[in-house]
Amino acid sequence: MAELLLEVGIAVTGVALAGMLAGRIGLSVIPAYILVGVLLGPNAPTALFGVPVALVNEGEVIDVLAELGVVFLLFFLGLEFSVDQLLRDRRKISAVGVLDFVVNFGIGAAIGLAFGWTLVETLFLAGIVYISSSAVVTKSLIETGWIANEESSPILGTLVFEDILIAVYLALLAAITGGGGLRAAATSVGVAFLFLGGLSVVAWYGAGWFERFFKTGSDEQFVLRVVGLTTVVAGAALALGVSEAVAAFFLGTGLSQTTHVERIEHIVAPARDLFAAVFFFAIGLSTDVTLLAGVAGLLAVAVVATTAGKLLSGTLSGRVYGLDQRRSLRVGLGLVPRGEFSLVLVALAASIGTGRLGSVIPAFAVGYVLVMSVVGSVLVDRADGITDAVLSVTGTDSRG
Amino acid sequence: MTVYETDVPGVGKKFEVELDGDERLVIVIHHDGKREVFHKDGPDVDADRLFTLGGRQAREVGAILQGAYFQPVETDSVDVPLGDAIIEWVDVESDSPLAGQTLADAKVRQRTGASIIAIQRDGTTLPNPDPEDTITPGDILVTLGTRDEQSALEDLVAPDDDG
Repeated sequence: MAELLLEVGIAVTGVALAGMLAGRIGLSVIPAYILVGVLLGPNAPTALFGVPVALVNEGEVIDVLAELGVVFLLFFLGLEFSVDQLLRDRRKISAVGVLDFVVNFGIGAAIGLAFGWTLVETLFLAGIVYISSSAVVTKSLIETGWIANEESSPILGTLVFEDILIAVYLALLAAITGGGGLRAAATSVGVAFLFLGGLSVVAWYGAGWFERFFKTGSDEQFVLRVVGLTTVVAGAALALGVSEAVAAFFLGTGLSQTTHVERIEHIVAPARDLFAAVFFFAIGLSTDVTLLAGVAGLLAVAVVATTAGKLLSGTLSGRVYGLDQRRSLRVGLGLVPRGEFSLVLVALAASIGTGRLGSVIPAFAVGYVLVMSVVGSVLVDRADGITDAVLSVTGTDSRG
Repeated sequence: MTVYETDVPGVGKKFEVELDGDERLVIVIHHDGKREVFHKDGPDVDADRLFTLGGRQAREVGAILQGAYFQPVETDSVDVPLGDAIIEWVDVESDSPLAGQTLADAKVRQRTGASIIAIQRDGTTLPNPDPEDTITPGDILVTLGTRDEQSALEDLVAPDDDG
């Protein structure tokens, strides 16, 4: 027990220090959490300046905490998912969402096929490079003040579309990778959508029941009920071979119809933050960075192609919203960072573990997310210079 | 004045308030209570961040903007360096019985115990008003007195409901 307790202590302390350092140099915390996981994990590097640093092993305790991280990341995604906004702006949101999907998923699929990957491996790769990081993107929207400008509408619209798409996509991937032939896959897709369909019906029409179930004066009772119900639903889903993350997403959307949303944001968000930090740490823990050398070519191609992809789809999305060239470019720049959802896909890939899913894809994705979060931050920081340069080349400076 | 409301996932809500002309005020309310306020000269212009407030600060500033901040004075929670006395701001309605009277005629101090220490009129403040100054509708009387004296004064200034 002493060993396990010490490992969890070292993990959380390491994450805390990494987050502090990231904040100091103005980087997103997600890559910092991963890096400290790589550092402290059993894979290389195992020693730093002669000091052994492989202090934390992959074990069940860290695994369960990380799993809760995935569940609560998706639970909050569902909770904050704005159905009203999606319906109100459905035409523009579906236009920019489809554009974003076709361009970026398409690039990912093309890369996978070009490198000779199997269909399932390619599907994972395409998903990983497709989805932007809601956490990093919204954070940079706030920091740059773009949130108050017009470019925030297509950016947030794209994220809303990506959120719902990644939920469906995760459910599909989890079902088809469950093993067996085509028939088994079809069955498990059926089970997944029955379960999720049932869950969303309960979530939607059971709003009154949720309302009463979570009505309590005690914060302690409240957090216990939210964490309890969410974990039970996620666990039940996993037992049926359905993605636990997606089940949590649907439960979250159900709760978003109740009056408890604000309270969950206040009281349960710290639990989410703790579990999610351990999840990013655990991703780093299980990453063998020596594998990165083998995927360097793929990584370089993916970084260049998918950065260009987001710039293209974002710029076109800005046009769909009727923005000028400068703002349209900002939409593209803002959507470049990839993060938590790419890693959720990796967790699923690693849990299947066959072929490239268990080794190459996790190493690639960790490298990719690290690079893209840095590239994304730099692009946003330098946005004014970049848009000036682009506009002077195209000779259409709209600032006058 | 139109207000646009948008959800910002993971952050909170964004309100965009149309001001005069094309000017806009953008307020982002975070789930943790933090408020960020931006100003834009037009829908097509980059926003400037004006200020950031915590939840409690925001509520106090909001109450001041609303003009409600100084009305509900709670003596047990507010430091008043005037002993029992408090300062109140009292609006003079057009049908107030005091409207049209000079301060000398109104005999506010004799009738209520509270003193008028200033009059705010059309955005300017007349400190230590003269007894011959006339109270006119739209004035704001700045008055000093105890809680009881203040409420007597408010009754005096208020229009007669039954009249």
